[in-house]
Amino acid sequence: MTDVSEKLLIVEDLSTTFATAGGPLPAVANISFDLGRNETIGIVGESGSGKTVLSRTIMGLQPRTNVSVTGSVLLDGNEMVGASEDFKRRLWGTEVAMVFQDPMTSLNPVMRIGKQIDEALRVRLGMSKQDAKARAIELLELVGIPSPVQRYKAYPGQLSGGMRQRVVIAIALACSPKLLMADEPTTGLDVTIQAQILNLLDELKERLHMSVVLVTHDLGVVATRTSRIVVMYAGRIVEIGATRDVFANHRMPYTRALLESSPKVSNASHTRLITIPGRPPNLLKLTQGCSFAPRCSYATDKCHQERPELQAADQPGHSFACWNPLPTTRGDSAT
Amino acid sequence: MLRYVIRRILMLIGIVFIISVGSFFLIHLLPGNITAVIEGPGASPENQAKLFKLLGLNRPIYEQYFVWIGNILHGNLGTSFISQTPVVTTIGNALPIDLEIMFLSQILAFAVAIPMAMRSARKPDGVIDRFFSAGSFTMLSVPSFIVIILLVLFVSIKLGIPHTGPSSYVSLRGDWIGNLESMALPAITLAVGSFVVYFRVLRSDLIATLQEEFITMARSKGLSQRRIMWRHAFRPSSVALLGAAGVNIGGLLAGGFVVQYLLNIPGLGYTLIAAINTDDYLLVQGIVLVVSVGVVLINFFFDFIINIVDPRISRE
Amino acid sequence: MLELEEMALVERPEKKKPLGPLFWLCVGWIALNIFGAIFANVLPLQNPLYQNYSAINVGPSLHHIFGTDDIGRDIFSRIVYGSRVSIAVGFGSMVIGFGIGAPLGMLAAYRRGRFDTILTTFMYILLAFPAIIATIAVLSFWTPRSVFKIILVIGLASVPLVYRVIRTATLSVATKDYVIAAKVQGAKDRRILMKELLPNIAPIGISFLLIGIATVIALEGTLAFLGLSVTTPTPSWGNMINESRTVLQQNPWLAIFPSLALCLFLLSLNFIGDRLRSHFDVTEVKL
Ligand SMILES: Nc1ncnc2c1ncn2[C@@H]1O[C@H](COP(=O)(O)OP(=O)(O)OP(=O)(O)O)[C@@H](O)[C@H]1O
Ligand code: SF4
Ligand SMILES: [Mg+2]
Repeated sequence: MTDVSEKLLIVEDLSTTFATAGGPLPAVANISFDLGRNETIGIVGESGSGKTVLSRTIMGLQPRTNVSVTGSVLLDGNEMVGASEDFKRRLWGTEVAMVFQDPMTSLNPVMRIGKQIDEALRVRLGMSKQDAKARAIELLELVGIPSPVQRYKAYPGQLSGGMRQRVVIAIALACSPKLLMADEPTTGLDVTIQAQILNLLDELKERLHMSVVLVTHDLGVVATRTSRIVVMYAGRIVEIGATRDVFANHRMPYTRALLESSPKVSNASHTRLITIPGRPPNLLKLTQGCSFAPRCSYATDKCHQERPELQAADQPGHSFACWNPLPTTRGDSAT
Repeated sequence: MLRYVIRRILMLIGIVFIISVGSFFLIHLLPGNITAVIEGPGASPENQAKLFKLLGLNRPIYEQYFVWIGNILHGNLGTSFISQTPVVTTIGNALPIDLEIMFLSQILAFAVAIPMAMRSARKPDGVIDRFFSAGSFTMLSVPSFIVIILLVLFVSIKLGIPHTGPSSYVSLRGDWIGNLESMALPAITLAVGSFVVYFRVLRSDLIATLQEEFITMARSKGLSQRRIMWRHAFRPSSVALLGAAGVNIGGLLAGGFVVQYLLNIPGLGYTLIAAINTDDYLLVQGIVLVVSVGVVLINFFFDFIINIVDPRISRE
Repeated sequence: MLELEEMALVERPEKKKPLGPLFWLCVGWIALNIFGAIFANVLPLQNPLYQNYSAINVGPSLHHIFGTDDIGRDIFSRIVYGSRVSIAVGFGSMVIGFGIGAPLGMLAAYRRGRFDTILTTFMYILLAFPAIIATIAVLSFWTPRSVFKIILVIGLASVPLVYRVIRTATLSVATKDYVIAAKVQGAKDRRILMKELLPNIAPIGISFLLIGIATVIALEGTLAFLGLSVTTPTPSWGNMINESRTVLQQNPWLAIFPSLALCLFLLSLNFIGDRLRSHFDVTEVKL
């Protein structure tokens, strides 16, 4: 019997570096956090901040060549870093599963979607053909696909983006994983469908007692659905803490910029009012200072020369990496 | 899908028409008294008159074409004045041999090329891949007539497998072991030429497919490598393979001719070369027509198969 | 043999692969062969037609470095002379194929519209026609066969293929910004075609040309082998290999040396073409 209070996921000092033609590319660097059972944690950051690489590395799903991973990922007591493909394969699908970011490319275009759900059930759970089919149809129904019996035979190309995203979720849920890595499950979908899918994930999480890592570049998405938030920039954690603390008492200028660029609920069209000026740094040419410095209006000389380490904020479990943190005048909701 | 098929069929009809006109003029552009040329030296006036009538030479050329095509549609390609056998009969005897060689060689080529390409694609630029790629590149530069010379030189002479003489072909009806033996060399030769092409096409396509996101997705389901390779990578990549096969099988004809000619396998290629050497023009014309239409039909067939394998294509 | 049918070429401008020493070795080999073909008369070679009945089917020796054939002719000098037919046919027919196909392809891709539609449809129908059969059929009727006729027939048969490759390549360049900019600025068509398009499709054209030459040389060999190329006793690699068949058991050298000469030449051409293609970052695309 596993101790229920024990953390499901413990990530420690995790780094992923790709060997590229232009030199080593540190896509993820020194990430540490943990996740309890039945908890949802949000990972936010701009495009290119390493969210996808991080979630794949946690699963051990990084490419097999030209990549080096260091640190540790304990998933329900199993060390994923350095584990063999065979070992990880036994955990994929049943322990941890991933909802892929882009439903347009992550479904096999020449395989019927029913088959794509089935096959995990048959191979991993050893179900019979009929049982697998019945369960696949159940899953399609569960993720809210109308007339699942007909859809079972459809090819991905015959479904809309939203429907495909639901299929991707159904595949991830097929073997009832304990941990669901949801990598921007709603990017590219229109707003009403976004909300539907997020609510669906929430509901399924409760129903199936999963833990969820919810990846997004939109803080608005994680505001009400997560207990904690990890903010990433250029492959590193720049702020981490309970959701309310990160919203109300963020200390890192980047987090604030993210918050300000997040679509306001009041703004019906959901266009971004403020975008963060400048672009994320080229990971091949990182300086030794704070990676956000070139875009930061608070930057000082020190920021350009030395990288700030994570330091504890006032609230328990809340830390940030910044030399010139924002003042904590925004109301003390934690106390 | 239906519109696509109709468009393809219209195109097919157009091409077949052009082929028929081409084959028709092949004979009519011969210099000199056409009946004498066709029948060769020593043609009897009686035969000349027969041919004159068959070709309808007194009529305008377009009418001659329609007479000719009308005959063909009734299954009449004329009767060779050299062998006195109907061209259709000769072709009917030879064609099954071609089909058998083609079938055997393609099975062989796929059986070798597919596993090799999969092995290569698993680690592109790895030791095995470099070896396979360099080897296949080299073989790309070896024409099939040299392959067969080498095979004869190093295999059949050593092993005592018959390789020359009219006796080398054993009919399938009589003795199928003997038949397979006599088909071994030609099938292997054609397989060598094909497998090189298939390997290269499938390898590069598999490498591209294996980088697709849906492969990572399949991996994340906890499927075995073998299953991912066959079920998820091979099927989309097989479209490229089938396309290559369509082109290749058509292109293989010349190689097939050489092989038949050299090994005395009485297929269409052998018959064609023999007909050319004996100035049997009607037979040449008939074979050119049948083979050309055959190639076009093969391409059409492969297009169709590709459509079934890949549901993306017909929808576009 | 017509692998080149599925090697249409499309540009991808990124990093460049170095050409490497093997590339220059192949270039040197081709140059040496061409040199031998051109200067065969001047070089101190034995008469390729002289039949020395006192030296029949001898193996390689000092006097005959590749040995002699079944009627005492020197194989080495026959191979050098034989390269003339192969090289002439290879280069000659591609001159015709490119001379007609390339300008048409460029023009069609540049002009687009009705001209392009009609020409392209026509060429695609021709492409569906099995060119090899057509070549064999025409050559079998059109006697006596000469190098010139063979060049003409193969050259014409290759036009649709060249057209397709060059048109595809031009299309990918013609839509680029600098070409559109030149058009907008009112540059003359001729100038755009020569100064903007030609230099950009040249690498594709050249590598396709080399692979095409190799393919044609192999085809000539096949025709010679079937007795459909130039008539003997003119040596050509193909008919030498063909003649060797009858004495394969007694004198395998007779088959091996011309085969080696042919394969090495083809391999070098293919290798140069392939390297150039990856050097200029052009990917194989199946059409
Ligand atoms: N296989 C790889 N090889 C080399 N670099 C890679 C590889 N995969 C990702 N990267 C790099 O890692 C960095 C992080 O990419 P990642 O996909 O994790 O960003 P992301 O936060 O998920 O962005 P998005 O919101 O666009 O999905 C990028 O700069 C990307 O170029
Ligand atoms: S460390 Fe300096 S540059 Fe970096 S976020 Fe803080 S203030 Fe800005
Ligand atoms: Mg991502």
